[in-house]
Amino acid sequence: MAPLRYLLNRLLLLVPTFLLVMVIIFLLVRLLPGDPAIALLGDKASDAELAAFRERLGLNAPLATQFMLFVSSVLSGNLGTSLMLRAPVWDVILSRLPATIFLTVYSVSLAVLIAGPLAFVAALNRGRWPDTVIRAVFQVGLSMPVFYIGLLLLTFLAAQLRLFPVGGYGKGLADNLYHLFLPAMTVALYTSAILMRNLRAAIIEVLDAEYVQFARAKGLPLRLVLGRHVLRNALISTITLLGLSIGNLMSGTLVTETVFGVPGVGRLMLDAIFGRDYALIQGLTLTFAVLVTLVFLMTDLIQSWLDPRLRLS
Amino acid sequence: MKKTMFAAAVAATLALALTGPLAAQERGGTLKFARYDGSKLVDPIYAERNPDIWMVGSLYSTLLERARDGSGLTGALATSFSQSSDGKTIDITLRDGIRFSDGSPVTAADVVFSLDRARNPDLSPWAGLLGAISGVTGEGAKVTITLSRPDPTILSMLATFNTAIVSRAAFEKAPGATDQEKSAALFAAGGPGAGSGPFYLSGFEQGASMSFKANPYYWKSGADGKPLPYLEGVEFQIIPDDATRILKLQAGEVDIAEFIPFARIAELGTDPNLKMELFPSTRIIYSPINTRATRADGTPNPLADKRVRQALNYATNKEALVSLVLHGAGAPMTSPLMSSSTPMAVKTDPLYGYDPVKAMELMQEAGFAAGTKIKLTTLAGSADDATVFAALQQMWTAVGVELVAEQVDSPTRGAKNRSGEFDIHTYGWVDDIADPSQVVGWLGHTPTAKAVGTGWENKEFNELYDTAAAEMDPERRAAHFRRMQEIYAEEAPLLFMYETPFAVALSAKVTGYVQTPLGANVFEEASLQR
Repeated sequence: MAPLRYLLNRLLLLVPTFLLVMVIIFLLVRLLPGDPAIALLGDKASDAELAAFRERLGLNAPLATQFMLFVSSVLSGNLGTSLMLRAPVWDVILSRLPATIFLTVYSVSLAVLIAGPLAFVAALNRGRWPDTVIRAVFQVGLSMPVFYIGLLLLTFLAAQLRLFPVGGYGKGLADNLYHLFLPAMTVALYTSAILMRNLRAAIIEVLDAEYVQFARAKGLPLRLVLGRHVLRNALISTITLLGLSIGNLMSGTLVTETVFGVPGVGRLMLDAIFGRDYALIQGLTLTFAVLVTLVFLMTDLIQSWLDPRLRLS
Repeated sequence: MKKTMFAAAVAATLALALTGPLAAQERGGTLKFARYDGSKLVDPIYAERNPDIWMVGSLYSTLLERARDGSGLTGALATSFSQSSDGKTIDITLRDGIRFSDGSPVTAADVVFSLDRARNPDLSPWAGLLGAISGVTGEGAKVTITLSRPDPTILSMLATFNTAIVSRAAFEKAPGATDQEKSAALFAAGGPGAGSGPFYLSGFEQGASMSFKANPYYWKSGADGKPLPYLEGVEFQIIPDDATRILKLQAGEVDIAEFIPFARIAELGTDPNLKMELFPSTRIIYSPINTRATRADGTPNPLADKRVRQALNYATNKEALVSLVLHGAGAPMTSPLMSSSTPMAVKTDPLYGYDPVKAMELMQEAGFAAGTKIKLTTLAGSADDATVFAALQQMWTAVGVELVAEQVDSPTRGAKNRSGEFDIHTYGWVDDIADPSQVVGWLGHTPTAKAVGTGWENKEFNELYDTAAAEMDPERRAAHFRRMQEIYAEEAPLLFMYETPFAVALSAKVTGYVQTPLGANVFEEASLQR
């Protein structure tokens, strides 16, 4: 019964979180100078045209009225209509979300595939040359901006060696995997550097713990010790970090999507902000909030599975 | 030297565009085009942003069009047109056998429907351009347009994107309660039938891609006597990042990349697989100066004195800006109110040539206190604006100005322009119509846009503008515009900066692609060597 209550509690906590997100985003977009009328009708529109447009969109109504309208329509499952794209916000988000989710999952998978084994190699060879080399290479990856890594990969692997396409999304799963390899790799290189450092430190810490020393002294084979004791315990902090990274990745896809021409929600968010498309900004922020919260929730659940002490507290 | 090179490149491009394809054209193939931004809705009357406006001509034909050599207007869907001596009636005869892309005939009823839509202020943001039209009637191949007052721009308007002809039947069949909904539904569905341009929309993925297929019923013929276009289709991909767009072209994944950063022009020009084209444009870059007596915060505004504004213009080395920002691929403005490609532009060369001594004299005459702070509002993230700021800061120190920067995004800049909360800010313009009235109204006519937000007001200028709006004699009209340019240059409500071409890089296999001075992407005579 305890795990279910734990889950319910966590889900209930989401209600005030979302309310807060709605209030903040609603106010923030309206605090920006320049409004949808100016952004949409453009510099060439006359003052009269702008005024008529504002009236038509209800932008002249008091903020409280606008907010109640926003909340009530969200509660009835309607995110409104994008002014910029003249289409329902939810439809627009749905058409662009798969690319971002695909890219995020792809990047995280690559990052885990890179960071996991290398962290073990580094930790088990602590202070010796494999450890030094691995840490040095990742340090370089960490210190370069993401867009720069992206452009380097594009220039060498795509434009010169023609191994991958220069940007785009592709059609169908295989084509998506092929098109998104470079952007996913760009993000993965950065994320894996952070994961690797953390996982390496955690493994070293666990390796030094008495229960591990005891298990080894008992004569358990190294493979079993690593799999049963070290990995499980070292993962606890890394899973938290991974969860946080996914949250960052979701909102940080903007740069990668722009450099690689991937039609995802990161780029859509940027367009929406420059277009002062209130409904679209609100819809996107809520979607991000839901996704990030889900990732955090999953992180908590995995953690409590890995570490029963968390469930008890 | 750089200016000469630029002039030569523009002249060569223009010559190429004018002579058009000479040899027998290759037909077929799909051209791949990397765009900086995507279309949202390509409909003649709802196109508001350049990525939409510039594509209208590919899907829809207008009644008239501008002759390729720029000499004037010629028939497009119309074979003949005439204007009555009082300027209030236009008679148009439609071309024989013209069809929409689904094969259905283009009739006078479609023309009436399209023009009524275009001039309806409840629908189109461009309706004001057709304000003189009081009625449109048609029967058979004849269309009559009546005007409530003579309008010297009206024939030009019939060659402008917003008066392109749409199919009434397609709109009637489209789902939706309002014209806007029907237009969106037609665009979303794609397929032939809505227009009679060289192509029809065959695919659209918002924010990602768009594709055109050749319209088999297009009314215009190519050099080989067969109907245009030469291409089977065009596929657009949206790649907002400049560097990626260029890499895509270099990797051979696309055939054309638009909006090449000026810093890359020289390098791409030396690539044997590519052609670098600088299409002459009506794009000008300038900076409005707040001319109000007080600033928004209530303090006295030193820029209200025209001598200070003139001094800033003299203190600006425009040739240096052209070489720093455009890497030579542009030229200082020669008309104070428009690009040199806009009809009726007066070419003053130099317009406020670099003269720091004269600038200093004017500043002293105006009693400008050395060390006075002036704020330049620039676009955040724009490398060009950052360079402009750094250069101006240095140039203006010599005349005692302490220039400080303020960085904002585009809608914020627009809001500041309208509220007058700025000293000077960067800005740009591309004409939407082939007539000076639009840009002159925007930059100088106070009732239209407070003279581009500067608050500048000149009675003679405003009267000349209103007189020119009804002047049917081309010479007298040109004289009015000449005088307006004189007044504006003297008053200097702007920092006059430079004009830039449209820089497009093409694969060496592409011929016949043109970007017009108004920015329209023209694919009808483009062909692809295979």
